[in-house]
Amino acid sequence: MRRLAVLLCVALTLAVAGTAPVAQGPSPAPITIVSPQGRRSLTVTTVNGGDYLSLDDVATALGLTLRDDRVTGTTTVTAGGRSAVLTPERNVVSAQGRLVSLAAPPLRQDGRLVVTPEFVTRVVGVLLDRRVDFRRAGRLFVIGDLRVPRIVVRGEFAASAAQVTFEIAPATEPTVTRTGSELVITFAADAVDAAVPAVPANPLLQSIRPGEGASLVLATGPRFQSHRTTVQPIDAGTTRLVIDLLSAGADTLTPGAPAAPAATPATPAAGSADPGPAPSLPPPPGGFRTIVIDPGHGGDANGTEGPGGTLEKTVTLQVSRRLKALLEGRLGLRVILTREDDRTLDQDERAAIANNNRADLFVSIHANAAVRPTVKGAEVYYLSVDRASLESRRAIQQPDALPQLGGGTRAIELILWETAQLRHLEQSASFAALVESALRGKVDMSPRPVQQAPFRVLVGANMPAVLVEIGYLSHPDEEKALTSAAHQDKVALAVFEAIAAFRGRIEKPAQ
Amino acid sequence: MTPRRVATLVAVGALVVGLGWLMFSFLERRLSAPTPDAEPVTPAAETPAAVGPHISAILYFVSEDGTLLEPRAMDVPLRDSPAAQARALVEAQLAATPPEPLTRAVPEGVTVRGVFLTGRDDAYVDLDGTFVSALPGGSHNELMATYAIVSVLTTNLTPVTRVQILIDGREVETLTGHVDLREPLRKNEGLIHVP
Repeated sequence: MRRLAVLLCVALTLAVAGTAPVAQGPSPAPITIVSPQGRRSLTVTTVNGGDYLSLDDVATALGLTLRDDRVTGTTTVTAGGRSAVLTPERNVVSAQGRLVSLAAPPLRQDGRLVVTPEFVTRVVGVLLDRRVDFRRAGRLFVIGDLRVPRIVVRGEFAASAAQVTFEIAPATEPTVTRTGSELVITFAADAVDAAVPAVPANPLLQSIRPGEGASLVLATGPRFQSHRTTVQPIDAGTTRLVIDLLSAGADTLTPGAPAAPAATPATPAAGSADPGPAPSLPPPPGGFRTIVIDPGHGGDANGTEGPGGTLEKTVTLQVSRRLKALLEGRLGLRVILTREDDRTLDQDERAAIANNNRADLFVSIHANAAVRPTVKGAEVYYLSVDRASLESRRAIQQPDALPQLGGGTRAIELILWETAQLRHLEQSASFAALVESALRGKVDMSPRPVQQAPFRVLVGANMPAVLVEIGYLSHPDEEKALTSAAHQDKVALAVFEAIAAFRGRIEKPAQ
Repeated sequence: MTPRRVATLVAVGALVVGLGWLMFSFLERRLSAPTPDAEPVTPAAETPAAVGPHISAILYFVSEDGTLLEPRAMDVPLRDSPAAQARALVEAQLAATPPEPLTRAVPEGVTVRGVFLTGRDDAYVDLDGTFVSALPGGSHNELMATYAIVSVLTTNLTPVTRVQILIDGREVETLTGHVDLREPLRKNEGLIHVP
């Protein structure tokens, strides 16, 4: 009998715990209603791990009328002659005579009725006879047909340069304005749906926060001096805005460089034949202006995988981004990554990006693997060629002639894709030696640090080109190092130094 | 029990034992004898240790320090035509157990779909998709596997100077994103350990 009583008590406790609302944790971020009439912020309460809104607040913001029926225990919500009837703690709501089943029911919380965001989109939307979207990332209700692009923000930070990338869908024109120590990015939209990441401690950027209307604000740090913006259309529906934050140290490398203007127009970049000078750091003299960095693999092609699960495609992208930030921040070079995210690219596409952008140097970043886990160290490759097949190819590669306006012809040089790298082999070998020398002082090197191989990605590059294997992911310690920011910075700095030295050679050839 | 009945029981017992022995003997002989319809059992692939006429060929393995291809002389079955010999060499390279302390340069479980020789001293080696799917990635592994196949033919078959690897009957750009396989490759002496 006593045992039965205990069981009943436990069952009763569980039943109560299962039905009673339980408030949890600190207050979550508010949710904003964006409508043609303006913006209203709603306080959010967490109940049973989910977001709930006060129905009174929702009614006030959207002009709804509430009426409680104490006899039936129901609440009627009306708007413009349309009505819905809800019962607390019941998942089914009657809206305009139709039953709407909700994932979580309206609840009584401290004497107030609270409802989920789903209630607003599915029930209030029926009452307003308008589309109501809930944008979870930006915590927005969008009512009606408003332009609210979704923006994904990510950042890369180094000691002397930082880069913040915004991917905007649908494509929306951004304008970047400098106001004191802040950069304000205003989008041609009614609001923005942006998940803003936390910014790690760095001297160039303190925070990213939502601004007034459709804007985001970058609060810059003490070492920030200038910025550069680039807009690249990714596809028909998405635009990418890249803001490079440059430090005072970067400008000392290019004395006399003008400061960024108060309002920087976004500069279209992709596909333009002329890369155009950077607004804050003009390109160096001598024509060495553009570098294409190729993060190996990506998308479906993971590359190799370390024993700890590290994917080659991830490490190569991280190091490439660090190298890009260094080159842009310290040398003011135009730097293009063949991929800026996890996407699949053909081998020819990678070289094509370099060729189409008239790059002066092509650097493919990879991480290696060996059957023996003891093999370690960085390696630099440039293309090896089959001399016999080259001669046969050269034999069929004749100059061509194009007719000119006004008569006559003009000789043009056709370059076969398969032979594009041949004319640059000597410089590629020279650059490979510079990379090896720079890496040697900073990271472990393979016993065979510079090699030639018929690597597919190098074949079509019509400029000096190397492939850098930054270490062996199959070596457990090296895998661990390759995932650390400090080691990645070392690798990026070494390649950066090699590029700086190579640029010096190109611009000041030996007398 | 009468003596006559005892004698009958003994006779029946002896008969049962005798019949049992005969049946057991017959079945034993019958089951152990080769049946006329049975196919002779032959190994799926020849291994370097196969009996019969053979040649001493150079096969390639990954060196002890893991950085180079290490040549080793091993027995490979002798075949009566260059094309058949080329196939035997590739099969031996794929099947060979590396002597200590070397390791395999090529993935395990790869099937040779065909080996073709041309009049231009090129060889085409058609391997099944396992050669790609079982390769763990990394340019070093790809170089080791590719040049083990290239080297085993260019070293052991004098007329062959270049080798192109096909996968499942088709030309491929690379195995795992590195080595250009659209053209036949020559032996890469820089990857081979010189004792």
